[in-house]
Amino acid sequence: MYKYILKRLLFLIPTILGVTFIIYAVMNITPGDPGRAILGANAMQADVDAYNHMLGYDLPFLQKFVNYVQDLFLKGDFGISYFTKQPVFAEIWPRYGFSVRLALMGALLSAVIGIPLGIYAAVKQYSLWDTVPSVISFLIAAIPGFVVGMLLLYIFALKLNWLPSYGASSLRHYIMPMLALAIPPAAQNMRFTKSSMLESIRQDYVRTARAKGAPERTVIWKHALKNAMLPVVTQMGLTLGALIAGAVVVEKLFSLPGIGSLIVDRIPFKDEPVIIGGTILLSVCFAVIMLVVDVIYAFIDPRIKAKYVKMKGK
Amino acid sequence: MKKKLALLMSLLMVLGIVFSGCNSPAETDAQNPEDRVLKVRKKNAMMSTDWEQTTESEDMQITFVQVFEGLYGINEAQGGYVNLLAKDVVISEDQLHYTVTLQDATFQNGDALKASDVVYSYRKAMENPRFNYVTSMIDSVSEIDDKTVQFDLKYPYSPIAHTFFTIKISSEREVTEAGASFGTAPHTAGTGPYMITDFDMASSIKLKAYDGYWRGEPAIKNVEYVVISEDSAAVIAYENGEIDYLHDAPTAEWDVLTAAAGDNCTMVMGNNIRCISINWESKANNGILADELVRRAICYAIDKEGLNLAVVGGRGVIAQEYMPSDYVPTSPKASDQGFELYEYDPEKAKELLLEAGLTAAQLSEGVDIGTILTYGAQTGQNAKIAQVIQANLAEVGLTCGVEVLDIAIASPRMHSYDYDMAIFADSGNYDFNNIRQQVHSESVGMAVVRYRCEGSPFDGERIEELIDQGVATSDTAERVTYYTELWNIVQDSATLFPLFHAPVGICWSGDVNPGDICPTYYHLYSLSWK
Repeated sequence: MYKYILKRLLFLIPTILGVTFIIYAVMNITPGDPGRAILGANAMQADVDAYNHMLGYDLPFLQKFVNYVQDLFLKGDFGISYFTKQPVFAEIWPRYGFSVRLALMGALLSAVIGIPLGIYAAVKQYSLWDTVPSVISFLIAAIPGFVVGMLLLYIFALKLNWLPSYGASSLRHYIMPMLALAIPPAAQNMRFTKSSMLESIRQDYVRTARAKGAPERTVIWKHALKNAMLPVVTQMGLTLGALIAGAVVVEKLFSLPGIGSLIVDRIPFKDEPVIIGGTILLSVCFAVIMLVVDVIYAFIDPRIKAKYVKMKGK
Repeated sequence: MKKKLALLMSLLMVLGIVFSGCNSPAETDAQNPEDRVLKVRKKNAMMSTDWEQTTESEDMQITFVQVFEGLYGINEAQGGYVNLLAKDVVISEDQLHYTVTLQDATFQNGDALKASDVVYSYRKAMENPRFNYVTSMIDSVSEIDDKTVQFDLKYPYSPIAHTFFTIKISSEREVTEAGASFGTAPHTAGTGPYMITDFDMASSIKLKAYDGYWRGEPAIKNVEYVVISEDSAAVIAYENGEIDYLHDAPTAEWDVLTAAAGDNCTMVMGNNIRCISINWESKANNGILADELVRRAICYAIDKEGLNLAVVGGRGVIAQEYMPSDYVPTSPKASDQGFELYEYDPEKAKELLLEAGLTAAQLSEGVDIGTILTYGAQTGQNAKIAQVIQANLAEVGLTCGVEVLDIAIASPRMHSYDYDMAIFADSGNYDFNNIRQQVHSESVGMAVVRYRCEGSPFDGERIEELIDQGVATSDTAERVTYYTELWNIVQDSATLFPLFHAPVGICWSGDVNPGDICPTYYHLYSLSWK
């Protein structure tokens, strides 16, 4: 198992290289330069060129890429922001922590709402407990987080005046962003859990458990749910990754200091070090989440664990 | 059952704790004026607390006006430049030497303002390429005594008032002590009415009134700028009482805002003028825009009134000049009829197109003239302008596409003349010499049309002569004469055409006296609590 984890961690290196290369290539082909963005519209072109030269922005694409990769892997240096002149890591780390925290809360809430509803809908198939949540989840899954956020702002901030509409200085500030993040994936979780559970409760081992006289609660929770959770765990991993990287719209709407909004804010300034550093952290995070999902698999499904043990034995 | 009840009770308790104290944020604010905080909306994160490093206009509203001061200030409410840290300015007869006597001001750190601080700030700015456009005429700045500074110019330069406004004075001691980290944290290096006490780049900037401010302590003691990027969220925050002052309020939401604000809002003419530029070097349809008659036809085909109505609900002000002549004394006046105004006349546009050799059949089918390039949101003002102009042009038989890009992509294309037509905003300052950035051959990277280059059909040499003559005299009437001729050349070329002044909406809470209403550089100093 440890060998597998190590192997997967090593796989992060080509992932980072690939992400860095793609971002560098994209930034390289888009017009504009940091010199103009920083010095402003009134600066002479010669001064702008000199500024870009000072930043090393005018170096050939491959040379810039190699220099960056060397600094990143050999010194762990994400570089200095073109715009604020601050070390990139110091800028992105607090924002990253905030995004992870928000996404974790959102993913947890989406699981808390979606999974029980999915289980219940599957167990009570064709009843109102199935039809109503299924129709609602179908509708909600089609609504973007931004619209959910606007609705929440309208209801809880403007009409009820219960919650603040911006900022992140207290727990209350997190409620609406968390809901805006959690509601669309909760609907997905519900649908996913329901279909997975339906498949599971029709399996022979569930029928066998019932035939053996096991109480219905045990049949559902111990036999059906445990097996139905495998695809749900994958879905949750993907949801968490998507929430960390994709919360930018919600971050912007609620004025939250997340990594997504930082990256978006720096794109007009072509602040490559921040954009690339932030993207690398996000991709590493996504890869780690997928690794954790794989490890959880092993704990949920004894067959997978046995496979690892077998591999170790060889 | 008991378990379920316990669960329900726990949930209610958690919700109770979370929502406790969820009454209106306005109600939770302290009522004592000394403790009350004026909350101002800011659209974007603030990048630096150093005026030299701020490039974004909202950041400049904070650093340029509230925290730092220049020798001159801008008074948009009444128009023109006013003395600020300069108590008195004496100009030599040859207009090459400016002797400035300083006010008895102090920095927020308590140090007295000295001539050496002015010299330090100017020398530093002169080394910063960002400010070349306002400092390149300065030969040297020297300290005569503790309160007197002398500026020696390389050549007479009458728009120097804009330099005196743009360059702010920082405390030499504090900036030097902070070194490279200056601008990354709160400081007390300005002489302005407010000092920055808390700086969180991502979410807020807190200001505190400087009690030793040389013009008297500000009435509002605490200010917090909160970053709210989304317009709709900002409107909700204002309606909800979480924001006290909303400058440059979203015009698309103006009806909602006025309903919420009642009398506590106004809309003023912005300095920002939306223009269309027509690139004579465009390759579209075999270089059709190189034909002056076609370009003139485009100008005649544009219905500015309709544009104003469609884009900003008629709240803008039609622009006939590059800068509003009513508060830029050096600006040519439309009322003097010294240049072509291109009043909306689609029939004349059609005549010009026929004169250009296009046939009626071609025009009824639609003649392609390329694409209108602009930037901003797909539903933003610039995009709407482009769409309305597209429809105007279609009425006279010209067809074009519309391309709306992010400013980071569109702007470099405009400045490298890689477009057919472009919609952009040119913010005025208060001297017509600002036109230099649009028409001078040295304004590479700033201008969107080339007037002096190989193959140019325009008298670029004369344009540049007029610019030089305009800055060489301080006689306003003489300058207006030069600039009228210059603007006439530009208008005859039908390459740069002003459309309208976008309106600027300002809303404030019922507890606030809004003070001087300014479209760009508002002064928190003039605000007070009711």
